[in-house]
Amino acid sequence: MSGTYQPPNTSSRDDIKEGNVIYYTCGDCAVRVPLEPSAPIRCQKCGARVLYKERTKRMVQFEAR
Amino acid sequence: MAPERTKTTWDHGFNTLRRERLFRNPPTDQSAYPALQEAVNPHIESFNALFRNDDKPSLLDHALAEIGTKTFLDGDERAAPAGKNKLTIRYKNVTLSKSQVPVTNKYAKRREIFPAECRERHVSYRGKLTATLEYRINDGEPREFVRELGQVPIMVKSNKCHLENNSPALLVDRKEESEELGGYFVVNGIEKIIRLLLMNKRNFPLAITRPSFTNRGPSYTPHGIIVRSVRPDETSQTNVLHYLNDGNVTFRFSWRKNEYLIPVMMILKALVETNDREIFEGLVGPASSKGVENTFLTDRVELLLRTYKTYNLYTRSQTRAYLGQKFRVVLGVPDTLSDYEVGTEFLRKVVLVHLGCNDVTEEQDTDKFKMLLFMCRKLYALVAGDCAVDNPDAVQNQEILLGGFLYGQILKERLEDLLSVGVRAVLRDYLRRNPTVSFTSPTFAKDFPLTIFRKTNENLGNALEYFLSTGNLQSPSGLDLQQVSGFTVVAEKLNFLRFISHFRMVHRGSFFAQLKTTTVRKLLPESWGFLCPVHTPDGSPCGLLNHFAHKCKITTEAEDVSAMPGILSELGVNNFSSAATSESVVVMLDGKIMGWCTPQNSKAVADTLRHLKVKGGHGIPLTLEIGYVPTSNCGSYPGIYMNSSTARMLRPVKYLALGKEDFVGPYEQPYMSIACVDHEIVPGDSTHVEFDPTNILSILANMTPFSDFNQSPRNMYQCQMGKQTMGTPGTAIRYRTDNKMYRIQTGQTPIVRAPAHNTYGFDNFPNGMNAVVAVISYTGYDMDDAMIINKSAHERGFGHGTIYKTKKISLKDDSRTRTSKTISKMFGFAPGSPIRASDREMLDADGLPYVGRLVREGDIICAWHTVSADYTGKLVNRDGITHWERYKESEDAFIEEVRVIGSDTGNEPLQTISIKLRVPRSPVIGDKFSSRHGQKGVCSQKWPAVDMPFSETGIQPDVIINPHAFPSRMTIGMFVESLAGKAGALHGLAQDSTPFKFNEENMAADYFGHQLMKAGYNYHGNEPMYSGITGEEFSCDIYIGVVYYQRLRHMVNDKYQVRTTGPVVPTTGQPIKGRKKGGGIRVGEMERDALLAHGTAFLLQDRLLNCSDYSKSWICRDCGSFLAVQPTVSPFIGKRKQVGTVRCRNCAQRLDQMEDLDLMKLDGEIWEDGQGNQWIGGENTTMVVVPGALKFLDVELAAMGVKLKYKVDTRDKMRRSALKPTAPKLLPSSVVVA
Repeated sequence: MSGTYQPPNTSSRDDIKEGNVIYYTCGDCAVRVPLEPSAPIRCQKCGARVLYKERTKRMVQFEAR
Repeated sequence: MAPERTKTTWDHGFNTLRRERLFRNPPTDQSAYPALQEAVNPHIESFNALFRNDDKPSLLDHALAEIGTKTFLDGDERAAPAGKNKLTIRYKNVTLSKSQVPVTNKYAKRREIFPAECRERHVSYRGKLTATLEYRINDGEPREFVRELGQVPIMVKSNKCHLENNSPALLVDRKEESEELGGYFVVNGIEKIIRLLLMNKRNFPLAITRPSFTNRGPSYTPHGIIVRSVRPDETSQTNVLHYLNDGNVTFRFSWRKNEYLIPVMMILKALVETNDREIFEGLVGPASSKGVENTFLTDRVELLLRTYKTYNLYTRSQTRAYLGQKFRVVLGVPDTLSDYEVGTEFLRKVVLVHLGCNDVTEEQDTDKFKMLLFMCRKLYALVAGDCAVDNPDAVQNQEILLGGFLYGQILKERLEDLLSVGVRAVLRDYLRRNPTVSFTSPTFAKDFPLTIFRKTNENLGNALEYFLSTGNLQSPSGLDLQQVSGFTVVAEKLNFLRFISHFRMVHRGSFFAQLKTTTVRKLLPESWGFLCPVHTPDGSPCGLLNHFAHKCKITTEAEDVSAMPGILSELGVNNFSSAATSESVVVMLDGKIMGWCTPQNSKAVADTLRHLKVKGGHGIPLTLEIGYVPTSNCGSYPGIYMNSSTARMLRPVKYLALGKEDFVGPYEQPYMSIACVDHEIVPGDSTHVEFDPTNILSILANMTPFSDFNQSPRNMYQCQMGKQTMGTPGTAIRYRTDNKMYRIQTGQTPIVRAPAHNTYGFDNFPNGMNAVVAVISYTGYDMDDAMIINKSAHERGFGHGTIYKTKKISLKDDSRTRTSKTISKMFGFAPGSPIRASDREMLDADGLPYVGRLVREGDIICAWHTVSADYTGKLVNRDGITHWERYKESEDAFIEEVRVIGSDTGNEPLQTISIKLRVPRSPVIGDKFSSRHGQKGVCSQKWPAVDMPFSETGIQPDVIINPHAFPSRMTIGMFVESLAGKAGALHGLAQDSTPFKFNEENMAADYFGHQLMKAGYNYHGNEPMYSGITGEEFSCDIYIGVVYYQRLRHMVNDKYQVRTTGPVVPTTGQPIKGRKKGGGIRVGEMERDALLAHGTAFLLQDRLLNCSDYSKSWICRDCGSFLAVQPTVSPFIGKRKQVGTVRCRNCAQRLDQMEDLDLMKLDGEIWEDGQGNQWIGGENTTMVVVPGALKFLDVELAAMGVKLKYKVDTRDKMRRSALKPTAPKLLPSSVVVA
């Protein structure tokens, strides 16, 4: 039992395509930064060098005990 | 009207609103807790002194002046210097710029790099070091050029840091704590501080008796005078005078880790143009003085003068030339200097450098001469017994080596090394390669600064970063220090108390840690008010690692004492000196002899100076130390020793004559009369009084409530445990990436606290919880310092904590040699690689974990694949393999943050991520808690609330402790805290717990007892209570109150260790060591003894054999050997393993080596070994159970030619029928030595 509710994954191959944009948050100006894989890591607005991954939108539920 | 400045005064109250406002709106003008910054300031100020912003010369300016000009010659190395071209080069200035992004980064809007970014990116906080150099060829036109010397780590909040003088609001803006203190370096994302070290007091001749001095050679005695002479750039050179049996005196110094000995007369004669009479009178006194009557002295001085005659050196120039000739190679001076000049250089660099180390004048040489004479005089007095030895372990004769100063010393040495060693090597190499080129040729003019300098190792930044990250000193000279490692420590932010303690910590030096004697560790009365008597760890660093008293300051700037000579001569200090201390005593300022006065006058001089100093306006700095040593019978050498230098300890006391603040140093304090409290002032004797008796305690020791009620070791334990508490490291936790960080979720402000708690702003960093504590033996689960937690209290969040762990995952090769800049790996799934759905759903599409996800042991936390550039330069994956990083720890955690880290140039794709994991740690049975009185205990049960005892008001305790914890430990302070906490909780008061406030007349128990009475409770704090199980009233009243409890970081989840089987050591088969690797705990000799004594032989066998290196082994019954048996190989069955046919090769006979072999006559089975040889016999083998280590021993001994023979009892011979239930017994008997 994993204890985590992870929604069933329909396709594992399709979303690993190149050009898949993921959003990150800039540590300095809090802007959402879309980044492709292999894109240089920097905030497009302020050039900050530390970005944070956004909290997942998937349901995260744990066994409450 | 301008807004009011933020108030900085605090009382002991809760100040809830004020604190909340400060927290919500950090002040934009100044911090509300200046005391906190004050505690760290010595570190910052010492760094600031390196590169000053004002007009005064910085330490580095002094250092550059001392490095001076270096000279190089061209042409053949072996040829004489005549006719060669000369190149002179010097540093004009060295500057350090603030931390900035490189110019190649075109994207960054803000050019500054703040410390928070360095922490988050796991890099160092550093700035560019730039040097302007100036060179001349053959005294021609000076030309300048600029070199960059690499990136040098910068101290946070120093004058080279962006955070200097930032307001709390701005600091919060820059992702720091509102009360960020600075004083540390950020190296690879880790906060490092340079430890403070205790050194010998500078510029003061210490009289020392050390038995090891006799090892220098025959006739050396243990007596000596040591002076640690410090240059204006804070580098030091120690000079020692040794006394020899015959009355001679030798001068010793170390240069580049080698020792040199010179007759002191040679130095005296080299310093000034003098004669024997002058030296004699300088040591003994004029013919009219009483010093001449001292025949002990005159005899020895005569001998000193006579033995020197053998050198036949009479004038100053002769002596200097002689010294120069001897030390030319040692000093590494250019060939152009004459012997005389080298001798001058020697005196400048080595002899009493504090009196002049740069462009030394005649006057300064005279000062050195006078000082050397004084040192000799003190040495003779020491030998004669007229002067006591000075204790180098007492804080009286010590000062502090500050981090910034040490940093400057290293920087100076590196700079000097670059200019002398580095440039010399490169030039030599260049001239060898181009023999036709001279310094005047145009090719050289083209090549010189840039091409040639490029070949030197001019990256000083790396050297300093290495020093900070390892704490190791790599230095050719040793910097006059006694240790080479352990200079830096990580400033752990486990909780705020621990963090702040790092800055107040002072170490005696790791050299003393190995010393077997305990004298250096003693708490001496001299330390009063400077080092905290309570706050030192127990165990190996006890007494070596001390902490400053919280009011103790350290000077970081030399004071202006230019008015002193005038004032002193007005006070009657003159030049008449005699060896008799009854006639004249010395007046010394910073190791320079200002003159002499009569001992009767000296007290008046010292008293007047002090009065003028405190009064102010006479050009005498308030921080001047006036060490008046009175004449005594064979005590310390009398005189007035004044000190205005840096790195001294100081503390404020009240000067009674003027009622003003005076600063007192450790040297003068033993000779002063300072009353502790007002009513202890003795009229006519006391000159000073303490502002507060708690000034002697460190910050942490001040936090122990009612510490004067406790037995003293308990207060020491609390100082330890306060630093191990799971507390609140700060509020900027989001921007920190510490490897491990502890945090308490439900911290509270203590009800019982001292005003210092607010002054230091500890409410911003709560460290524990107020718990209702009943002292009762209730369940039997509270034996031996166990404590019971109310289960409902636990459910309400009592002691709930969290651990944050940061994992940095870098795809770059992070080794020190930065090899390739090319990218060979990338995060994410390899395109087109088959991935299991269960693996895929653990990660987001970018190959990084979902933020907020639960991770368990073995879960994937990120994916990466290899890439290489294709013909367009695009990075593509070719192998289609996705690699995983997994979560290895056994404890469940949550992904708190995933940080995606770019390079400082801003153009690299993702190579480094930093994952912060959150491990929730609610209290479990086995976790450690403590009160603030050294009363630690382990939680033994979470007792259900219904079964907890309750009082008449229906109060249940949160914590139950056993009454047996008190009688032997005598922590009465805990009782008082309990009482005060209860009264405070009932009335809504914060209770002042400052020690030394109560006495026999005004008792604490009475004061708080009356408060309790007013609230309708028992005066003594006892209450009738009822059993939670039966509901019956207990036959006695229970002491119950409110005590502040700390949760310590030692938790069972980090410690439990259990195994039956698991990994073993391959050689012996025994379990491996270490909890992390799943190893076992050793059952040692003592445990074995205990098991034997209990007669539990089966248990013993289980531990030592069955759960350890149990192994079945074949043995030959006939020859008793493990090593000769081997399994037979059947030629027909192939490689399938056969059981049961094991033969002894030793007892068997090989068929092809048997003479007159007759197969018909052979009796028995023929067997075959692996090589196909046929054997017969050796059938008498059996299987036994032995420890694996025994077989290992057998093999090891066999390798040495020792044979072990085991006798296997014949009674349990192998049966061909059913197996016996027990294993055959093994009797190790005779050991046959081959």
